[in-house]
This record gives sequence, structure tokens and C-alpha cells, in this order.
Amino acid sequence: MSVREQVKSIVLRSDEFSCPSCIAKIENKLNDLDGVESAEVKFASGRVLVDYDPAKVSVRDLVAAVAEVGYAVKPSAF
Amino acid sequence: MKSWRTWGVVAASGLLIIASWLVGRLTSAETVADGLMIAAAVVAGYRIAVSAVQALRVRMVSIDLLVVVAAVGAMFIDNYWESAAVTFLFALGKALERATLNRTRRALSDLVDSAPETATVLRDGEPEVVEVWELEPGDIVVVRNGEQIPVDGRVISGNGGVDEATITGESVPAEKSEGSEVFAGTWLRSGVLRVEAIGIGADTTLARIVHRVEDAQDDKARTQTFMEKFSRWYTPAVMLAALIVGLLPWSLVATMDNLELALTLLVIGCPGALVISIPVSIVAGIGRSARDGVLIKGGEYLESSARVDAVVVDKTGTLTNGRPVLTDVDILDDDYSREQVLLLAARAETASEHPLAEAIISGAREAGLEIDLVEAAEPVAGKGIRAEVDGRVVAVGSADLLDHRPDNARILELNEQGRTAMFVGVDGRAIGIVAVADTIRDDAPAAIRALHDAGIRVVMATGDAERVARNVGTELGVDEIRAELMPEDKVEIVRELQSRGHTVAMVGDGVNDTPALALADIGVAMGAAGSPAAIETADIALMADRLPRLPYALGLAKRTVRTMRVNIAIALVTVAALLAGLFLGGVTMSVGMLVHEVSVLAVIAIAMLLLRPTLAQGGAEAPRREKSLDLGAGDQATVRV
Repeated sequence: MSVREQVKSIVLRSDEFSCPSCIAKIENKLNDLDGVESAEVKFASGRVLVDYDPAKVSVRDLVAAVAEVGYAVKPSAF
Repeated sequence: MKSWRTWGVVAASGLLIIASWLVGRLTSAETVADGLMIAAAVVAGYRIAVSAVQALRVRMVSIDLLVVVAAVGAMFIDNYWESAAVTFLFALGKALERATLNRTRRALSDLVDSAPETATVLRDGEPEVVEVWELEPGDIVVVRNGEQIPVDGRVISGNGGVDEATITGESVPAEKSEGSEVFAGTWLRSGVLRVEAIGIGADTTLARIVHRVEDAQDDKARTQTFMEKFSRWYTPAVMLAALIVGLLPWSLVATMDNLELALTLLVIGCPGALVISIPVSIVAGIGRSARDGVLIKGGEYLESSARVDAVVVDKTGTLTNGRPVLTDVDILDDDYSREQVLLLAARAETASEHPLAEAIISGAREAGLEIDLVEAAEPVAGKGIRAEVDGRVVAVGSADLLDHRPDNARILELNEQGRTAMFVGVDGRAIGIVAVADTIRDDAPAAIRALHDAGIRVVMATGDAERVARNVGTELGVDEIRAELMPEDKVEIVRELQSRGHTVAMVGDGVNDTPALALADIGVAMGAAGSPAAIETADIALMADRLPRLPYALGLAKRTVRTMRVNIAIALVTVAALLAGLFLGGVTMSVGMLVHEVSVLAVIAIAMLLLRPTLAQGGAEAPRREKSLDLGAGDQATVRV
């Protein structure tokens, strides 16, 4: 199995994004994690879209990492 | 971060500031008063400092850092009040921003929350309540009066009125019966339905709408991209300016030293209102329209929609109902009544598969006539039908089907009015005329009027014959009628309007109109609730099959763009006024922070005005007319529907 095939996507939602400066903060933090392929913050709709490798990093780790820079997020089914 | 903690911090800091004031005024214990002020600054500033450090760890210089530097700097120059005021106002502003921003996002979270969680499914004939995610396509779910429909599906039995407001923005319940399509998240207001599940969870129209709206809210308007580029240079420029001012050996402002001036510059230079002015307007505008059943693809499309000054509308199914109905019954032989003419025509047509036959039969049924099937009939290609009814030969069609050629004048007159007229003959003699036509939709005149009121030119484009098109177009008062078109001709019309300087919206059904929809500045799909492709691709998707939603959507786009401009103006004027006030004297760090936070909140509050419901029920959308068939006596031997 190639690395590419292991990548999963998750949407994290938050109602705490109040200033667009949080975008780079969260994106930088997540992208620095081992196992995160890409992380993109959608400020207006309050979403964080993350492509990650579940073998290296869990959704729980992703939520914790965002909490470390000061924002509470929840994984979303859709 | 819990909101009670956020507000608790703000309240504690505020109380400490008040306590400090009281101690300072009522006693001579200045040290205690200063201590309380420092405590207020620390309480409010602690979280800001933590946030600044978190940002620094991921290599970012944030606004929080500017505030912390300013607050700490103020303490070093013994200006404890300024330090406490700046941190308190910043923390208060952040808490208010968060609360109000969430209200602008609520239009969407209401949609997400309206997703159903449980369903009553039939397993071996027995009802069983399960979580929605446990369902499989093909499952039969039972929905009772007052319950929410849990899946996208097809009604297999039962009748009921369904409130589809979550999907179409339409508050009047839609009648559903066997074969009808229903959507997850809508509510059954009367009756009981059994529904075969087709789409579940993320495969539902509701989920598609939520995703579409979220993507639209995140889509940046051209203006926003420009403003972001601007603030990317603006923030470092403010910091550099503050640094230079702080290091200058001579005083720039008489009332404060350069270090204080530099710190104040940092505080008032925060581009908060500037960066938030556009996204907050887009979130509110797109959220509002989604609630009213109008999906707009994103910020850029809002800006284009606001400029639309010409609309190209397909005729059939958009301005008209798209299926012919009976319009006229004339008598040519006094031995027969209108009922008899209609009844004979309808009975003869029971043997026909032609769409016109359906119109005549339904017309007769609506007039209260009972239509028995005929046993023997003979369609005559291109001319009509000949059938045996109660031992007589009844013909419906052109004069060629009759032995004695009747006067064709009335037929031509009806044709001239855009109707399809046919003779009704008995045993070779004409006894009457029936005519059918595609009728104008009840809500089309209101839609055209609303577009005209907004200064928008309306061009009707249709593949139909010139006289049919002219009739409908003239009755509706459209500005231009283009008939007998091939799909590629519609592309030409769009191109021509654009070359005349118009911004063009094209309303089409998305199949043969695709090239024209793609070329138009805004492609509009109508009745998109049942079409996943239309939800995904149209620039504006009107979920309900109602044209008046188009002028509504274009009007909302205009309001949103106006809000964006007002907000940008407020943000720029605030920064300019503060800078002027700073160098002319009078603006301190706390005043700067106060004005700055007020401007941010003003920008959010103005955007929130977009959330107010403005879709007039029965105003912009005309109430439906009752159809009536009058078959009574009268000189004018005509039945109008």
C-alpha cells in the first residue's frame, strides 16, 4: 500500500474563530505535526480541513494540537 | 475555551479597574490603586499573552503580541491605567466579536442542526427506531404527522403536506403522495408517509446544501483578496513605523513621549476591522439567502450578481408551466353544447398518446365531466385522431379529417394567439373547436416586474415558434423576445448582450442551455432541490421552482456588496481618523483601543443586518390563482383557464 492511499480526510468544526489571524496559527501548528499531509482553515465557515495519515496521527492528536494554540474544535461527520 | 471563562476574565478585569478608581478617588492609597490597575491588566492580559506566545511558537507575529507589547510598555512608563484599559478593552472586544460572529454563522449552523438523527424503519413489517446512519438505501421508513423526514427518498404510499422550508425556503407545505420526492430535514405537517430511502446522511440534498453554503462562505470575493494583500503589507508597515517613531530622538507629539506614541501606534494600527469587514458580510449574505432557498456560489459570484443588468430567461418551464392545458372550447353547431363538444373531444383523445390529448382530457375532468375510454380509434399521422364514440365517428384535429371543409378563420385566430386549435367533428361535420396552450406561470409576472423595478433588462429566449413566443412575451412585458432558437443561438444572445456592456444572468435548465449558462456572468438553475448537479454547478441555484427568487437573490447580492463597501469605508476611516487624532494629540492608547474595538463590532453589526428576513411572502411572490372552468352560457363561446 502506498503512503498516498493511507491518507484520510477529516473536517473539524469550531465556533471560536473570531479573527482571521487564527488561520495561519492553526495551519502552521497542524502542518508541523508528523502525519499531517495538509491542513486548511476556513475562517468564514469555521472549519478546519485536514488530510492526515491515521497510522501516524489520530484525530484526537489533531484536536489537541488545535487546542494548544487556543481553539476548541470538534470532529464533524459532514 | 469556555465562554463563561472568557466573560469571567473580562468581568474580573473590569471590576478591578473600578476598584482601582474608587481607591484612587476616595483614599490617598495610590500604591493600592496602582496595584489594582496592574492586577486588572494581568487578569485581562494573561490569556492574550498566552495566545501571543502560542502564535510565536508557530512563527507568527499576531495582533495579540502587539497588544501585549503595548500593555507591558505602558507599565514601564508607569501608565498603569492605559495598560489595564488596553488589555480589558481588547479582551472585551474579542469576547463580543466571537459572540456576534457566531450569530452571523448561525444561518448555517441552523441548517446543520436541522439534520435528522433518528428514523422509524420497517424491519420485517415492524416499525423500529434506529439512528439515521444505520439506514441503508432501499430501506422503507415511516414518517408520521409532525415528524421529520430522515432521508432523501420517494414516497411509496400515503399522503401528506410537507414543510420544505429547510431545503427550498418555501413555507407553504407541499402536497406529497405516491411517487413524490421528499428531502431529509423537511417536516411532515399532516398525514403519514412511507418513504423508500435513496440518499442518507452525507448523500442527502441537505448535506449538499450545507457543503455548498460553507464553500460559498469561504470563497473569497475579489475585493477580499485585494484587502488581504493590502493588510499583509499594512501590518508590518505599522510595526516598522512604530519602531522608527519609538527610536526617534526628538518628540513627534508634544503631549506624549515617542515610546508611548509608538505603543499607541501599535494598538490603533491593528487591521481588525479591515480584515473582517468582507468575510463577515459574505457569511451573512450567503447564509441569509440559503435560508430562503437560494444558493449563491461564493463571494466573487455575489459581486457579479450585484452587477447583473440583463437576464436571459428560457420560456418553457420558467415563464410558462411547460405543459399544455385546455384554453378554449368553441361551438360551431348549435345542436351541441360546450360540454358535449369537450366531452366528445376528450373521449376520442383517450385513445391518443399525444401530450395535447392529455391537456384536453384533464381540461374535461376539471370541468366535472366523466370521461369513458373509447374502444376503437385510429390516429391519423400529423392530422389528429378519429375514434368511434357511442356509434358515431368523432374526429379531433385538422380540417382534413372532416368531409365538409369548415371555415379555418377561428383556428388561425387562435393560432395567432399562440394556441394550438383543433376541430371537433362528428360523422364528418365540424361541431366545435378545442384549443390548448402552454400557460404563463402564476408567479412569472411578479418576477418580471421585480426585475424591471431593479432596472434589469429581461430577454426571453425560446426554441418555440415566433407567434407563441411573442404572445407570452408581450403578455409578460419582457423587453426582448428571441424565438425559434437552437441552443447555440442562446450563446450568441448572451455574447451579444455582453458586447453591449451588460452583465448577464442566464436562467436555464442546465442541459441544452449549458454553453449559454457557462458563458453568462451568472448561471442560474431553477428548482434545483431535485437536481444534485444543479446544486453543485450553478452560480445561483434557486431550490424552489420559483422565478421571483431570482430578483430576490440579485437584490440580496446588491445589499451584501453595499454592506461590504460600507464596512471597508468604516475600517479605513477609523484607522485614518485615529492616526490623525494621534498626531494632532488627544488619542491615547486606551482611546485608540476603544475606537478600534467599536469599529470592529460596528462592522459585524452592520453585516448582521443582512440576516434579517426580507423575502416577502405573497408580496414579491404572487399568491397562486385558483383555476376555474366556466362552461356556462355566454356570447363568448370560450373557456379560459
